[in-house]
Amino acid sequence: MTKKPKLFIAICTLPALLLTIIFMLVPMCNAIYLSFTNSTALSSNSKFVFLDNYKYMFGDKLFILAFQNTLKLMAAVPIITLFFSLIFAFVLTQSKLREKSFYRLVFFFPSIISLTVVGIVWSFVFNPTKGILNHLLEILNLSSLQRAWLGDAKTALWCIAVALIWQAIGYYMVMHVAAIDGISNEVYEAAAIDGASSFAKFFRITIPMLKNTIGITYVLSLSGTINLSFTLSNVMTAGGPNGASSVLLQYMYTQGMRNANYGYAMAIAMFTLFIAIILAVISRKVTGNKE
Amino acid sequence: MKKHKRNVKQTISKIILRIIMILFTIVFLFPLVWNLISSFKTNTEYLSNPYSLPSALHFDNYIAAMEKANMASYFGNSVYVVILATILLLLFSVPIAYVLARYKFKGSKLILTVYMGCIFLQATYIMIPLFLQLQAINALNNLNAISLVYAVMQFPFTIFTLHGFISALPSEYEEAARIDGANHFTILTRVVVPLCKPGISTVTMLAAMGFWNEYPLALVLLTDESKKTLPIGLANLYEVQKFATDWGALFAGLIIVLIPTMIIYLVGQKYLLQGIGAGGLKG
Repeated sequence: MTKKPKLFIAICTLPALLLTIIFMLVPMCNAIYLSFTNSTALSSNSKFVFLDNYKYMFGDKLFILAFQNTLKLMAAVPIITLFFSLIFAFVLTQSKLREKSFYRLVFFFPSIISLTVVGIVWSFVFNPTKGILNHLLEILNLSSLQRAWLGDAKTALWCIAVALIWQAIGYYMVMHVAAIDGISNEVYEAAAIDGASSFAKFFRITIPMLKNTIGITYVLSLSGTINLSFTLSNVMTAGGPNGASSVLLQYMYTQGMRNANYGYAMAIAMFTLFIAIILAVISRKVTGNKE
Repeated sequence: MKKHKRNVKQTISKIILRIIMILFTIVFLFPLVWNLISSFKTNTEYLSNPYSLPSALHFDNYIAAMEKANMASYFGNSVYVVILATILLLLFSVPIAYVLARYKFKGSKLILTVYMGCIFLQATYIMIPLFLQLQAINALNNLNAISLVYAVMQFPFTIFTLHGFISALPSEYEEAARIDGANHFTILTRVVVPLCKPGISTVTMLAAMGFWNEYPLALVLLTDESKKTLPIGLANLYEVQKFATDWGALFAGLIIVLIPTMIIYLVGQKYLLQGIGAGGLKG
């Protein structure tokens, strides 16, 4: 090989690197720095307050509420999403249904549509007067269960969870299909000869053999839940009623853009990012990945 | 006899499975189909029975959405941003991915590691510093600025994916072109890019879909009514009409957002699904 074309390498790499520094690394460093200051839109000379924002956070009831809500979503959404997506992936790869590819087309579709659309469409499902859910309950003679789903502090967060799960199942289904395709067919055939039922195949072959993949998809789904709940919470309920469906990043947005408390908002953002990273590391350890 | 029994059992379980799958198909499709049907109904039709079929295909809602609810302007802005951001993304990320895949130089490993780490950095975390930064240089409500920001946010995944794709290509074609006297730029544009078409198609499609649907950054960077993109415009329209019952334009607006997505999905399904395997889209 001839001498390294230094000029060519520079022309190819420097513009992209420069832009990455300006629009990703600098904002990231700024976020960390701001989180240690009391910067607001009004204060022209913001002071360095070190950990004050972080200390204040744990006395802030609305923050605690948003944190609890995020934890509830993280506990429920990834598990339910992965459960359904694994079953569907199994059906799509192992069953003999002729219309399999149709199901794949339909189930995957919600995961590529705009989250704003997802939020609004599901708001109509949960609408108190014209909503699909209340209408369905009426048909089933369960009118006593009807309520203003998004306006009720008990249910608002779970409406967001339903929308999150609905839009994510197909995405993880496709990932799991790819992984199951990687399992040699002979394994399943051998199991079939031994008379294994579909349940046995699912729990004894698919789940154990996909252990690594599930570890990865679980982490992705956790970080996805933290991140995507922002848009849904903002569109569907704006965190209401009284913060009952607010989540960490939505509360960060409220503090930062509505109240212009930049310092405090960034402390919340960094705290959230920290949680996401820690969870990812723990999950990787637990699933025993040695990659 | 035994075999016959087994066949019956298989058929029954197949039917049960099919019923379950069809039920889930309804769960996945009903909200969207209901939305589509409602978009063709007049307001009186909708209010009297939200579940009936429209008496005729009324396009009034679409006209109202385009003209009164500003959807035409949001649509134009969205198209502009998606096209510009996609072009910028490819313009910057293809060369660096190629160089990182083919040449080892000081820092090349570090660059890759940084991009890999940044894949997990979601724009939402840094939207406020970005807002302050663009405000300082007077670039809020600027479609060109937001397009550039979108492109950069997509750098980590795109560069990482293309790097993997190019590394897997044999380098013989490039060697042959070099012997024929082609310079580095000609090799990149005439040899590498055509060979990379499948990889480029996948990352382009994923990026374009992401740009079309993007919400958090547009929410803070575009506040001027005339600059808003579709997701923000729609969310606003929903805010305004939540308490009114004139939802026709909103239903139409939702469908307007979905049409391009649907077209790309049906045309480029193959590339999209490949991209998911590589961990693209959203996370």
